[in-house]
Amino acid sequence: MLQLEKIKEENRDILRLIGEVDASNSVLLDQSMQEILQQGATFLLIDGSQLGYISSAGLGVFMSYLDDFSDRGIRFAIFGLNEQVSEVFKILGLDRLIQIFPDKSTATTLAHEP
Amino acid sequence: MKTSTPPLGRISLLFAILVWLALLLVDLVRIFGTINNLDSGISEEVTWILEILFSIFVYLVYRHNFWKNRHSDFLTLIWRGTSTGLLAASAGLLTELIYLAFGDSKIGTDPFLKNVFYHINFAWTSAFLISTTLLWKHLILYQKNKQVVNQWQAFELSMLVALFFVFYNHNNFDYSFLFGLVILLVISILLAVNLKWIPYLNFKEKWKTLLFLFLIMLCAGVLFYRVLDSGNEGQLQINLTDNLFLIALFGFVFTYGLFSFLVTLFNLPTSSVFEQKLTEAINFQKLSQSIQPEESEEQVLDILLDSCISASFSDGAWIELNPKELFQVKNLLRFLDEPTQAMLTSLIPQEKQSWVHTSPADLPQPQTIRLSHANYKSALLVPLLINKSILARIVLIKEVKEGFNKEMISIIGTFARQACISVENHRLLNQAIENERYQEELKIAQRVQKALLPLHLDHPTSFDICAYSNTADEVGGDYYDTYQVDENHFVFIMGDVSGKGTSAAFHMAQMKGVFQSLIQLGLHPAEFMKKANSALSKCLERNHFITASIFEIDITHHTFCHARAGHIPTLWYKASEKTAEFISVEGLGLGIVRNLTYENHVQEKTFDYNSGDILVLLTDGILEGRKETGEQFGYERIKKIVEDHHKKSPVNLQQVVLDSLHQFVGGDGMIDDDYSLLVVKFK
Repeated sequence: MLQLEKIKEENRDILRLIGEVDASNSVLLDQSMQEILQQGATFLLIDGSQLGYISSAGLGVFMSYLDDFSDRGIRFAIFGLNEQVSEVFKILGLDRLIQIFPDKSTATTLAHEP
Repeated sequence: MKTSTPPLGRISLLFAILVWLALLLVDLVRIFGTINNLDSGISEEVTWILEILFSIFVYLVYRHNFWKNRHSDFLTLIWRGTSTGLLAASAGLLTELIYLAFGDSKIGTDPFLKNVFYHINFAWTSAFLISTTLLWKHLILYQKNKQVVNQWQAFELSMLVALFFVFYNHNNFDYSFLFGLVILLVISILLAVNLKWIPYLNFKEKWKTLLFLFLIMLCAGVLFYRVLDSGNEGQLQINLTDNLFLIALFGFVFTYGLFSFLVTLFNLPTSSVFEQKLTEAINFQKLSQSIQPEESEEQVLDILLDSCISASFSDGAWIELNPKELFQVKNLLRFLDEPTQAMLTSLIPQEKQSWVHTSPADLPQPQTIRLSHANYKSALLVPLLINKSILARIVLIKEVKEGFNKEMISIIGTFARQACISVENHRLLNQAIENERYQEELKIAQRVQKALLPLHLDHPTSFDICAYSNTADEVGGDYYDTYQVDENHFVFIMGDVSGKGTSAAFHMAQMKGVFQSLIQLGLHPAEFMKKANSALSKCLERNHFITASIFEIDITHHTFCHARAGHIPTLWYKASEKTAEFISVEGLGLGIVRNLTYENHVQEKTFDYNSGDILVLLTDGILEGRKETGEQFGYERIKKIVEDHHKKSPVNLQQVVLDSLHQFVGGDGMIDDDYSLLVVKFK
């Protein structure tokens, strides 16, 4: 089960992931990301504080946007990941490509352009 | 039994004729005796016995005849009765004519000749009465129940008694005769209410039946008149016809004939309703037969349209398909031309023609509409629903206002539902066939993919190796392989394509191609990963990546060189320290960064190994195997298992890991990913 909440805050778009991202619902995540980008977002934050699990298919979604972000100068960061999920990002090496922060305030202040 | 049955009819006929001849002879002798005042020595009982025998044989002849033709339709049977009656009556009339012609001449008054004619007429009359009685029996016992059968048996028994009544009564017209006659007539009337065969005749058949019944009654009347007539003539000493049996048969034949005639007559106006119901039943049955695979949905709609028209007497009709339906049909328009259809369509309010309905609860119902058209005044719209969506709509048009009554709407609704069930069943069947085909394809894919994993793992005597892989779906994205570089260098790899199922399986095949080509170039682990990344970047979908772990073992120096591309860290049990740990080497998954900067993200490290050391390569499917509660199998559990069971051979160790995993997830948990395991143990 995955619930997606889109929140607009000042110059930021926050996408909150609640539940689990697996092969069956990674398409939903992709759709939401695409919608946000189409609306001309310049600063996208993923709120992963309520994300219990992410499969490789879910990671693939983030990965597929990395080139887009750098081409269009969009600031992108993930925050609030629990230990298990954070570990998944680290093992794959995505922590070197995606800015990952412990909480929202550090993410908003520290996230820089790619 | 069957072979012996046909001669029975002929034998009976032969006996009937012989008995008749004997009867004639006996009677002539008796008359000769009477006329010449001689005692012929033959008592009248002989006549009676022969008469009874004759009746019985005639009965047997016709019973057999009926048995042979028992499957004929009513009309044929009634016609046979009618024809016998006509023959009997004509025989009687012919006799009458002959006597009219001869008048009072010698021949006209000859008692012997008169008796011969009398006997002929008696035979015909008996034949007619008995055959018609059997015909009535057949009609009365149509859709029989026990009560009717009992009544009929009582009647037959009474008739048998009446046959022998002559011995008691001596052919006198007295009270006992009247009493018997009344009883038999009462039974006849009771039996005559069994007329269930009449509604099954259609309009035309009813007219024919009326004619035949009229003829039968006419014949019966003529013959009865002649019987009375001849009975009144004092010239004959022999009287065959004034017995209770024959008179009662007359009564029965006439009574049932009359009842049938009247009921058929009164049934005439309503016969169209009965026919209509019968047609509806047949249509319903046609619709409910499931569509054969070679038939199309179009045929069902065709039958449906015709059924609806005949049920509602519509003056025009068509079926409109939901534009979303993939199949298109032509020619589902009846009695109207296309301009008229378009005209009428425009007269139906738009909102009633909508293909969408707001909620599953308010599914469209059949609805009647008043039309403001010169010729056509009312319409009925019946939606055809499949899976709560509208498949099509039947439009029925009538020239009269409010032309669709409740019964019509209800029966048409039933037709529509039945047709929908047929179409739905047809679709489900096709889907099932299609699915089966996909299953077959997947089985082939599964077989092909299994063949991509090595059957034999290259390894020297200095280490043991075993591997296991299972997929979440029919095919999966996990991969392992081995390669012997030279006699001292061995390589093994484990890979995991992101996602699962068919797309992962395709990428897994590419992975194998890349590994098998690059490894032959003698590349070391980090270099291998760089080249693999660059090769796979060109063929992986944008949101797919592959993680991999590669080991190059140098058995002379007891070292292994390792690089990891985003893959689950390999567990290394060190025999010297008696502990296991996950090897920490930085490295990004393949296909994530699709340019040359990837070389910044991968490194290789060389380690010394000792005898008894174990390497366990995993895919995330094992670590992420979950209990019902959501708890994952995780790193610590596998680490502990390997430490506890380090003495086991790779195959046994692998089995312990898998058993623990399956035990951990339990019946209600799940491993929703491909999972693989490769175990190496150095000697």
